[in-house]
Amino acid sequence: MTESNLATVTEVVMPWQDSRVKSNYRRRQILDKVMKVLALIAVVVVLFPLLDMLYLFAYKGLSVLSISILTETTSGGGTGSSTGGIENAIVGSCLLIGLSSLIAVPLGVFSGVYLAEFTSLHNKFAEAIRFISDVLAGVPSIVLGYVGFLAFVLYLHWGYSAMASAVTLSILMLPYIIRTTELSIRRVPDSIREGAIALGSTKSSMINRLTLRFALPGIITGVMLAVSISFSETAPLLYTADFNNYLPTALFHQPVGFLTYIVYVYSNLPYQSAHNLAYAASFVLLSFVFVVNLFARVVLKRFSKI
Amino acid sequence: MPKTPLTDQVYKYLTALLCCSAILFIFIIALVLIKYSYPSFAVWGLNFFTTTVWNPALNGNIIYKYGIAYMSGSSYGMLVFFFGTLASSGIAILLGVPTSLAIAIFLTQVAPRRIVAPISFLVELLAGIPSVVLGFWGLLVLGPFLLHSLEPAMSTYLGWIPLFSGHVYSYGFIASGLILALMIVPIVASISRDVMAQTPTELKEGAKALGSTNWEITRKVVLPYARTGIFGAVILGLGRALGETMAVAMVSGFAHYLPTSLYSAINTMAAEMALSLDGSFTDPSGMYVSALVELAVVLLVITMIVNVVARAFVKQGFVRSAEGVIRV
Amino acid sequence: MKKISSNPRSAVSTIAVVAIVVVIIVVAAVGAYAAVGMNKTSTVTSVVTSGTTATVSTTAVSSVTNTVTSSVTSSVTNTVTSSITNTVTSTASSTVSISLTSTLPSETVLETGSSLLYPLFNLWAPAFNAQYSTVKITPASSGSGTGQSSAETGTVQIGGSDPYLTNAIQLTYPYILNIPVAVSAQQVDYNVPGLAASIHLNFTGQVLAAIYNGSITTWNNAQIKALQSASVAASLPSTTIIPVVRSDSSGDTSLFTYFLSQTNPGWSATIGYGNTVNWPKVNGEQSGTGNGGMVTTCEQYSGCISYIGVSYLVSATTGTPALGYAYLANKAGNFVNISKVNIQSAVNAVAPSTPADERISLEYAAGATSYPIVNFEYAMVSRNQNVTGMALTLRTLLEWAISPQYGNSATYLNQVNFVPLPASVVQLDLAQINEITGP
Repeated sequence: MTESNLATVTEVVMPWQDSRVKSNYRRRQILDKVMKVLALIAVVVVLFPLLDMLYLFAYKGLSVLSISILTETTSGGGTGSSTGGIENAIVGSCLLIGLSSLIAVPLGVFSGVYLAEFTSLHNKFAEAIRFISDVLAGVPSIVLGYVGFLAFVLYLHWGYSAMASAVTLSILMLPYIIRTTELSIRRVPDSIREGAIALGSTKSSMINRLTLRFALPGIITGVMLAVSISFSETAPLLYTADFNNYLPTALFHQPVGFLTYIVYVYSNLPYQSAHNLAYAASFVLLSFVFVVNLFARVVLKRFSKI
Repeated sequence: MPKTPLTDQVYKYLTALLCCSAILFIFIIALVLIKYSYPSFAVWGLNFFTTTVWNPALNGNIIYKYGIAYMSGSSYGMLVFFFGTLASSGIAILLGVPTSLAIAIFLTQVAPRRIVAPISFLVELLAGIPSVVLGFWGLLVLGPFLLHSLEPAMSTYLGWIPLFSGHVYSYGFIASGLILALMIVPIVASISRDVMAQTPTELKEGAKALGSTNWEITRKVVLPYARTGIFGAVILGLGRALGETMAVAMVSGFAHYLPTSLYSAINTMAAEMALSLDGSFTDPSGMYVSALVELAVVLLVITMIVNVVARAFVKQGFVRSAEGVIRV
Repeated sequence: MKKISSNPRSAVSTIAVVAIVVVIIVVAAVGAYAAVGMNKTSTVTSVVTSGTTATVSTTAVSSVTNTVTSSVTSSVTNTVTSSITNTVTSTASSTVSISLTSTLPSETVLETGSSLLYPLFNLWAPAFNAQYSTVKITPASSGSGTGQSSAETGTVQIGGSDPYLTNAIQLTYPYILNIPVAVSAQQVDYNVPGLAASIHLNFTGQVLAAIYNGSITTWNNAQIKALQSASVAASLPSTTIIPVVRSDSSGDTSLFTYFLSQTNPGWSATIGYGNTVNWPKVNGEQSGTGNGGMVTTCEQYSGCISYIGVSYLVSATTGTPALGYAYLANKAGNFVNISKVNIQSAVNAVAPSTPADERISLEYAAGATSYPIVNFEYAMVSRNQNVTGMALTLRTLLEWAISPQYGNSATYLNQVNFVPLPASVVQLDLAQINEITGP
């Protein structure tokens, strides 16, 4: 070994001492921190309107909320001469989701049962039904409103009525219920089914007494979310239920009030009393959505036996 | 093999019958839409898709073409609405997707475990907010904010770009785009979060072992793995934005002409449909109703295509996260 | 292998599924039946007490006798007989008195349409309900186009509309009656920065048309200045004018564009008038939904000009910022205020020539003090009612509305700045109202 060779060897540098590696490392760390901050900013930017909305409507809603608003109907309300209330709208919305659930839940749950229990994943009929259900889920709600208006209100001569709205809403709700039911039932472990069959049960008995019971939390979650969606709908109801200043007394030929109409229409009237009703209606809507979401996502998950 | 008991067979066929209700509903929708839109398709043909003039001309006389009645001087062209729908959804995607991805990254990579659940809950809560309430908030808060703060600032600093110049108004392009972005963020964020959470830990651990920072793991491991699902989520969000009616109707400004700047009023297909149906039956020829239903058909076809494409990407395993969130 | 036998409990659950299917089928059948057979089987007995003028007796559902006395200056005796007997006797007197039935069946009446009529109808509905507690009226503000349309399809009982039906539409829907219920007007409002709200700018139809077709773009344009006094002209700023139009199918649009058509042959030839028109492209033109939306939009944008119904005058002039309203040039060439006196003089000029179907415009009337944009507020009602008891209810409601004692009294009209119907028009109304028949 010559002296010159020795000199070359001693110039080797370890990676953590190399200045290029160090600066590169620092750059990567800074980039990482910058990205973390950007992610945080994104979360804040999105949550800010949400929290602002909740605060605004809670604050304004609670300040106009009174027993009278909840127990009077909107008659005369919204022109500055009297205040009126939103009782008819609350009752109407509840009536509508009750009726539409009555139609959609049996249809949806049992369709889901069929798809989950009696067909395999690749059965042609099942795939067709699933595809159709996806298509139905993608129909814009205003198009459903059009169909409801033309088919039920005009063609069948039901007029603006609770029934026309209920059927339209059930078309809206059906895909969600079918999908969640099928998924919940498929998630029930086969071991349970095998145990039931080993004990001599028939398929229908097994489904009704065992599988459904296990799948129930998931099914209820799906139903509650479908209910929450239809409670918040406006477009299909605008053309099938119109509005009524009084409490509903008939299912056909009588329009029904609903909360989202008040928000849509009364927010545009230039009277403070109308805006107050819109705040109250928004508050009731948000509370309902909040409670349903909380219940469906948090509470029911705890009760899921799977 | 033992014969299936009668109750089982009855049960099976009855539930199969109930399945057919979905088919019945689709059939009703198709029937109604085709029946009412046929006159408009026949009379206007391709002009419907290329004209900006939407004029029902209700005070004119009834004239005929192919035996179908319509008003003389009337013209139905959906170009303004079509552009408005696409443009507002485009802005929604442009603004919403990066934000959603950032939120998803935050929830899966950055956030401490304890705050993931509450933040997820809040993001999904945003999806459940009724669109009229969002529109009302837009009227009360977003509109004035745009008119007095954001748009003047944009006009001052970015006014040299033609799109950003001009008189500022509160309701229009930007307001609609922002509200739609707010609506698609929960969808895209939730699905992306679920997809990203499914990345195998070995891959992430391997990258970490090689000395990657958190961001590099995300960029080089998680995002490529979740690419398909994220793309599907974006398409689902797009489908939601295209079909959204009420919130946009409240902040769109209902323009009759194509917008000239980002601040101009726009009009979307869904908003115009929501506004005009109940006034359209006064048309003695019935063409106004038919034109509106043709708008409905076009909107339905577009959203259906988008949704079908999306389902191809968002596969069965990820549908669970879409269950409670999707409202496309 | 042992045969798997049916479990009795599983039979029960299967029966449950069958029952649900049957229930759904039954519900669907009921719905279809209700759709086809719409006969409500409520019976109606109404006893009409008519005070001093006549006695009436009612027996069963479809025969009801109404006696109405109206007094007008000309002496004409009309007897209109159908399944409803109505006697109209006129004597020389200057007041109109209408007697109404005392009880009505339980009905839900829907009114929708003109946002200009809405504030008034919204005052009438609870008052009528106070008098006849079984009748529930829901008014709505959705635009005159919707009012006409909904009355024509039969989805509502009363369609509120500012303009009457055009010939083509009336021919397609011959069963629709155009019944004026009040006289209203329309103002032109503006939001000019720096101008005190108490100052009223003068406008002619020509200048308004020029603004709405984009020829005039700033407030200090020479043509606008030429119409004002010197001091007002000097204070007009160079702000861009932002015209606001109605986005929905609106009777106010019809009134405004009719005025523009009357004053501008060019406008009349190219754009014309109607509930919706093809507005010329003006940069920055905004829109509002409903009269309320017009007020809100105009308050937002400094420099805006809009056309708003007089029932919103108070809310426009007391909002933040307060909008100013214009003096418009009438046919005689004078700039007139939108006061009740001026509206009344327009009505008085035109009302005598009202035809029997009452389709007449009160706009651009002759007279030195006539306000140029004045109109009848129409209730569009179908002649043929098919819900039991509805015909009687609607006739009573409309008679109540046009009666100077009830609906057309100052108590209600003053709140919306409307003017009552002249007696001659009330008589024509009564003749039309009597044509409403049904079970």
